[in-house]
Amino acid sequence: MRLTLEVWRQTDPADAGRFETHVVDDATPEMSVVELLDRLNESLVEDGREPFAFESDCREGICGACGVTVDDRPHGPQPNTPSCHQRLSSWTDGQTVRIEPLRSGAYPVVRDLVVDRSALDRIVQAGGHVAIQAGTAPDADTTPVDHALAEMALDFAACIGCGACVAACPNGAAHLFVGSKLTHLASLPGGREERGKRARAMIAEMEQDFGPCSSFGECADVCPAGIPLAAIAAVNRERMRVVLRGKND
Amino acid sequence: MADPQDVKDAEPAPAPTERRPLPGAEPAALTTGRVRDARVRPAPKVPSWVLKIIMAVTGTVFALFVLVHMIGNLKIFMDPEHLNTYAYWLRTAFEPLLPYEGLLWIMRIVLLVCLVAHIAAAVMISSRARASRGTHKRRGMTNLRSFAARNMLVTGTVLLAFIIFHLLDLTLGKAVAPSGYQHIENGQAYAYENVVASFSRWPVAAFYMFALLVLFVHLAHGLWTVVQDLGATGRRTRAVGLFLAGAIPLAILLGNILIPIAVLTGVVK
Ligand code: HEM
Ligand code: SF4
Ligand code: FES
Repeated sequence: MRLTLEVWRQTDPADAGRFETHVVDDATPEMSVVELLDRLNESLVEDGREPFAFESDCREGICGACGVTVDDRPHGPQPNTPSCHQRLSSWTDGQTVRIEPLRSGAYPVVRDLVVDRSALDRIVQAGGHVAIQAGTAPDADTTPVDHALAEMALDFAACIGCGACVAACPNGAAHLFVGSKLTHLASLPGGREERGKRARAMIAEMEQDFGPCSSFGECADVCPAGIPLAAIAAVNRERMRVVLRGKND
Repeated sequence: MADPQDVKDAEPAPAPTERRPLPGAEPAALTTGRVRDARVRPAPKVPSWVLKIIMAVTGTVFALFVLVHMIGNLKIFMDPEHLNTYAYWLRTAFEPLLPYEGLLWIMRIVLLVCLVAHIAAAVMISSRARASRGTHKRRGMTNLRSFAARNMLVTGTVLLAFIIFHLLDLTLGKAVAPSGYQHIENGQAYAYENVVASFSRWPVAAFYMFALLVLFVHLAHGLWTVVQDLGATGRRTRAVGLFLAGAIPLAILLGNILIPIAVLTGVVK
């Protein structure tokens, strides 16, 4: 099938950037958005022109490296699907696909479709980890964790850090990302000990780059890990808990 | 329409990238992928999560007030004296514990403080949201849910205008009030007569109905936001919250909108 592509071209962070129009004649419905960009780049290179810079790694929805805005929606039209899994069957022959970087004031564009997502890393560095001496692995069931709790923690731990939730949010908020981390780390024995300290540190870091949450709910629609919308409420829950409890755990 | 192939052919090859300084960016951005370490803003004095709790609490105070106000308003369907006695009682309630209009003044002060806090927090939240989003706005949100969410500042401003109109019309009896507005005299309130006189002017009745619809939209999304702001993560709590965020605004809308309709159709006169 033949698709017209409008792809964002930006030579460096200081460049204003613009859309370039290209045509891919031999796209197939089972190709992904990332493969469409591959195909476009091949033909550009054949013509001696500059390919578009974009990120991808695993191409199976687990690494979070890919992520572009497709037709105004982070990752693309299919809900809860990363760009590397967005199939071209969402479009028909002759249609136009518009591809631009994930957009947020906290994600400066490095080049073309590549953005700097280190604002998310800073939040994780601030407290999105377990920093206690956990010792060697305990024997199974010395610290009982019931099955439902473990499953819940796993659901919220599924975040792959792609940053699409922020780009989907009209407020540029990172509540789905931060809430998913706060929830799963607060659920299990190791992470529980720093629950309060972590909430204070991660939310303080988050507020310097990201916006307030107004419950648009757009984040949970695009999240490729299917993090439930309840994660956004976990941010204020955890933050209020520190105030009421006044302790680090 | 031009053949897309022409567009492709007509595209000039991009000029070779020349190295130039990157304002606001690390010089090595293109090799390291890190553009800047500077944050969008320094740590705010009043954190956004506090602002959101202020919005949620003040918004809930408004919602409960409007709900109780609506229930009081329904007395108009009993008989004129019922509403008027109620209006007078509001002024003399808890006497001599409270002075004349004591209860009303407590409510007025609480509501005014809430209004100032609600609007101040709304303005700060919106400006932070704009800064964090950056220059490329989110596009392509067309669903109904996001309509209410996107227009909170707009619907809130209509509500502010309505509150001012409503106070002039039926509390102060000034400017926009009906010509026959009757003030309270010798223990007799004329709330019923004033409401009927005001709503008999169809543009006023239409504005009230419009404001009620706007209130519904603002509250339906506002109360759902309260669920997030107050940190409700449990499945059942969220389901109850979602239900109340629909039911309370709907009750307020239906209970109140009956009144201008009843006056316009002559059911209440
Ligand atoms: C007077 C002018 C008003 C303005 C400018 C205004 C503005 C706003 C804005 C912008 C929000 C969204 C905050 C956010 O989530 O980002 C909001 C939330 C809310 N508003 Fe208003 N509003 C006004 C009046 C009212 C009134 C009269 C009521 C109730 C009858 C009300 C109830 C609420 C509620 C319940 C929320 C949700 C609070 C939260 O964010 O958790 N507002 N308002
Ligand atoms: S919460 Fe979902 S959308 Fe947000 S960064 Fe994690 S995986 Fe991506
Ligand atoms: S490339 Fe790894 S998630 Fe898409």
